[in-house]
Amino acid sequence: MKKFLRSEGMTKLLASLISILAGLLFGGILVLIVGLTSGNIGFSGALEGLQLIFAGILSTGRDAVGTLTWGFNPSSIGNMLFRAVPVIMTGLSVAVAYKTGLFNIGAPGQYLMGTMASLMIALSIPTSVVPAWIVWTLAFLCGILAGALWGAIPGLLKAFLNINEVIACIMTNWIAANVVTWAFEISPFKNNVESTKLGYILKTSYNGVQTAKLGLDSIFTGSQINAGILIAIIAAVAMYVLMNKTTMGYELKACGANRHAARYAGIRDKRNIVISMAIAGALAGAGASLYYLSGNTEFFWNTYQSLPGEGFNGIPVALLALNNPIGVIFSGIFMAMLDIVGLQLTKLTAYNEYITDVIISVIVYLAAFSQLIRLLIGRRQQFKRIPDKVITAPVDDKKGGEKK
Amino acid sequence: MTFLIQQTLLYAVPLMIVALAGVFAERSGIINLALEGIMIFGAFMGVLFVRMLSESAVFAAAKAAGDWMTLQGLELIAMLLAALFGSIFSVLLAFASINLRADQTIGGTALNLMAPALVLFLIRMIANQNTLISVDAASWFMVKKTLFGFDRTDDLGFFGNTFFDKTYIATYICILLFVILSVILYKTKFGLRLRSCGENPQAADSVGINVYRMRWSGVLISGALAGMGGFVYALTTANCTANGDVAGFGFLALAVMIFGNWNPLTIAGASLLFGLFKCIAAGYGSIDLNGDGIFLLKDIGISPNLYRMLPYIITLIVLAFTSKSSKAPKAEGIPYDKGTR
Amino acid sequence: MAENSEYVIEMLHITKEFPGIRANDDITLQLRRGEIHALLGENGAGKSTLMSVLFGLYQPEKGEIRKNGEVVKINDPNDATALGIGMVHQHFKLIEVFTVLDNIILGAETTDKLGFLKKKDARKKVEELSSRYGLSVDLDAKVEDITVGMQQRVEILKMLYRDNEILIFDEPTAVLTPQEIDELMATMKEFSKEGKSILFISHKLNEIMAVADRVSVLRKGKYIGTVNTKDVTKQELSNMMVGRPVQLEVKKAPAHPGETVLKVENFSVPSHTHKADAVKDVSFEVRKGEILCIAGIDGNGQTELIHGLTGLDKASGGKITLCGEDISHSTIKRRGLWSSHVPEDRHKHGLVLDFTLEQNMVLQSYLDPRFQHGGFIKTREIREYANDLIERFDVRSGQGPVTIARAMSGGNQQKAIIARELDRDKPLIIAVQPTRGLDVGAIENIHAELVRERDEGKAILLVSLELDEVMSLSDRILVMYEGEIVGELDPKKTTVQELGLYMSGAKRDKVGGEAK
Repeated sequence: MKKFLRSEGMTKLLASLISILAGLLFGGILVLIVGLTSGNIGFSGALEGLQLIFAGILSTGRDAVGTLTWGFNPSSIGNMLFRAVPVIMTGLSVAVAYKTGLFNIGAPGQYLMGTMASLMIALSIPTSVVPAWIVWTLAFLCGILAGALWGAIPGLLKAFLNINEVIACIMTNWIAANVVTWAFEISPFKNNVESTKLGYILKTSYNGVQTAKLGLDSIFTGSQINAGILIAIIAAVAMYVLMNKTTMGYELKACGANRHAARYAGIRDKRNIVISMAIAGALAGAGASLYYLSGNTEFFWNTYQSLPGEGFNGIPVALLALNNPIGVIFSGIFMAMLDIVGLQLTKLTAYNEYITDVIISVIVYLAAFSQLIRLLIGRRQQFKRIPDKVITAPVDDKKGGEKK
Repeated sequence: MTFLIQQTLLYAVPLMIVALAGVFAERSGIINLALEGIMIFGAFMGVLFVRMLSESAVFAAAKAAGDWMTLQGLELIAMLLAALFGSIFSVLLAFASINLRADQTIGGTALNLMAPALVLFLIRMIANQNTLISVDAASWFMVKKTLFGFDRTDDLGFFGNTFFDKTYIATYICILLFVILSVILYKTKFGLRLRSCGENPQAADSVGINVYRMRWSGVLISGALAGMGGFVYALTTANCTANGDVAGFGFLALAVMIFGNWNPLTIAGASLLFGLFKCIAAGYGSIDLNGDGIFLLKDIGISPNLYRMLPYIITLIVLAFTSKSSKAPKAEGIPYDKGTR
Repeated sequence: MAENSEYVIEMLHITKEFPGIRANDDITLQLRRGEIHALLGENGAGKSTLMSVLFGLYQPEKGEIRKNGEVVKINDPNDATALGIGMVHQHFKLIEVFTVLDNIILGAETTDKLGFLKKKDARKKVEELSSRYGLSVDLDAKVEDITVGMQQRVEILKMLYRDNEILIFDEPTAVLTPQEIDELMATMKEFSKEGKSILFISHKLNEIMAVADRVSVLRKGKYIGTVNTKDVTKQELSNMMVGRPVQLEVKKAPAHPGETVLKVENFSVPSHTHKADAVKDVSFEVRKGEILCIAGIDGNGQTELIHGLTGLDKASGGKITLCGEDISHSTIKRRGLWSSHVPEDRHKHGLVLDFTLEQNMVLQSYLDPRFQHGGFIKTREIREYANDLIERFDVRSGQGPVTIARAMSGGNQQKAIIARELDRDKPLIIAVQPTRGLDVGAIENIHAELVRERDEGKAILLVSLELDEVMSLSDRILVMYEGEIVGELDPKKTTVQELGLYMSGAKRDKVGGEAK
């Protein structure tokens, strides 16, 4: 048992769970403090907020007397699975890049480019001429391609000009925000049909394009769920296989862990950096495609001064999953659950959905040094295992690494 | 022209001060990606203070009495508070990246996620809407020529019109602060030591400099400047409102810092350039360059979107050409561990 | 100053432990006033740890430090400075983008009331010191622009500026030319004449015999003893250091060179730092069954030469022929078909430190059909192969094939690289400083391994900075100086002194394109 607890996988899982719990606790405390200090919420209101934070996904609303009711809520669960799709994809995007030594903070920009490409294709090819499923597939592929191209830019800059990818990603994010705004501004796809939807782009269902539901909507009645979640899971498994079972994954990881050693072994490091960023971008773009091709989501096009949260949330998703593609499925669903919890809070209490964003940020913050904690645990074990040998001073290879 | 210069300054000055915030952190060896988040937090705290004052009718009283000294004093206090809370918020970054040796990029990203979430949560709880407004505060604080005893119709000449009418004292304080801090960074013992920690902390440690303390100082100063910059931005360009967003201004400041090669003088220049773009993008349709009633920029027909993304594109291009001779502090981003040497 | 004690600094019974290892075990070191005292020990013997304790960087678990007979507590480098202790670190502690003057005053600045730096007085003092000891430096140059020798003078001036009385030199000669070494020795003797006490850390016996009055020897964290240099021989010191009689010579039969394996003609490689080429118009060949050694002071183009040969750097001119094929423009992988490469920097190039040992073992061969099929990795085959190598080359690690390379000791990391490269069984073996930082036992093993490969008919190109290694291991020596080959020597006929003259550029022959 002790050995099991000490095992590497277990340490990792524990670190993530601790982060999650601490994030939820922080959110809970914030809810309590705000509740108790503001006159219109009070203790009972604060208590309800607390309950919803931890179990909001199981909330079924309020009964006639106004007490919270609990149980299986098919629409909440279905919506959770639906909303998990984009964050699983951006989570995979960040995770795959991270495994190859790159911090893909550019997922928001790649996501936006994917959104633009998918929506434009899905809305511009009339389904009266081309079958809807072909349009869907085309739009999906173009979303992937647009994301991949946008991701490849920081990759190219890093590979050939040695520009730090974090900086390049930040710049390309904001360029993307303006490009997308500009493109939609001059496009014919703005929603002029519904007067309340100014600033939004038409749903793809307007052109009859939407993701197949495969009967999932009859299990999770009243939700937005569709086959996208299955595609996301397939993508995660594919990434796992790619990174762990193939020579390409070996090369990508070698480049990420030590670019110089990879070069020494004849691996083409520059090409691999570009490929890695392109894969990351493709995943983020695919996430956007799956979200907006569902047919029942709308894109607010006037985004030049903000970046999509789904892109940034890929970072906590990947961190919580410790960059393991399979783990990303679960952490992505968890993130989506928090999303639903936030909506329930807004709907049922005087609190608002931003509390869940606070929780997410706390989790990211803790994740920043949970890696360190794991490292410490890991190191101590290694010292214990080779007691009789001289251990060289900790390797000072940080200096050799590229500067951030 | 007066309008263009004034508007450019309104954008350039917060950019400059926040970019300097980035410099102080990075020169000490800590990458501060959280500039955006700290700005958001500082802006919120500053605006909240102003709002509370205005609700307690302090302003109205001062305004009625024509006591503009008090009003300017209150503006200064709001700036100081924003700086203080910016500093407090940056403690999170300092603690994680200096004491716990966490990944600075992730830590900064966490703060960037946390600030808008926390601020929006609180704004919604306080104001029950998504924007925190303090009615008319911006106009209370604005320096107008009437304050100097001129009449509304007096012409102060180009110089006077540009720099003394319809300006904010905050702008000039920020410029002054920028100069003072730049001198400190290069001409004092503190500055020399701070910079040494960003270049080679092992060397600094070996001559008895406390690297942790220096890095803490760097990050806290950085937080204070970014917090203040956030409030100044909210005051001068957003009518003293806070909505959990500074429109990527913190990232723009990061671009300014990189574009300016971590050097205050070039940063000042870069701020003016990027401020000009921002100003053109914002006031695009209404800028009349030479007062002849012809809106030249509008007539050229270039989309404001282009001006908005130009700073980022230019920064990337500059990076592409200078990445080999980059003056980035050598040890930035690398946690310092006294044990490993 | 109190003169009541014979010793200016005493470190008594110092014990310092790290998780899993006792780096210093009951070590005593006593430094007399005005003497040059050498601290001798192999890599990993505990010399640096002991100095870190003296400098207040580590706190010992047991033991005490005395200054002039009185117990002192040293908590950080400031305390050490206050006690007059200064140190020239092996890896210089300089800020590259600062000027020389800023580097010297850093940490000991004088300022006015407002905290502004007052550099005028400092400049005067430094100039005075510099001329008094003949330590010429350019105060306004940036450190990144000056030579390594001058950087060391800056470090020495840093100590003098702080009026240090106890000067520690940590492996100071590794980066210097023989002439610079002589100057340094003279300076050290000058200091000691003035009453300054000097602690000289080294593992080079010649230098210790030349300059030190007494020697303290450490071995595997333990204190072995202190002797007067005039009472001992080099062999005795060497035995004390290693703990057993050491073969200072490598045992090997005469070489029987066969046909040419590698032929290099008019080869040039650009420099990363300067505009001029780092390797200039070099020609030589390596034949089957011989060990050809490239000797020279560090930084004279050896690294660039090897990088150019292996394809890590692009060449700017010339032709390389390997086993009959022109590989001047071939990819790294293609060159690897006929050559294996033990790289200079095992952490930078040799290993992916975050990979497991088995992943590192196939770093060069993961595309081999043995280890993959259609792009999918054959996990089991890799495990078996790694286990085989680990056993044959005695690579020790905590968890065998799944150990993370970072957690292995330096010696075993190097063994893993040697195992991987030698097992590839290529006609040409390029080995760059294969024994750097290893203890004597490991060095002996690696030398024996290389000789065995030679006798099996491999062509071996060795790059070494250690004169002893050059003299004992090679069959032919080429000396590089400022990117050129300035001499070809026969180790049996030449002397270390002659080799030194070539290395410092004082002597040069015209070495043609063909080997003699």
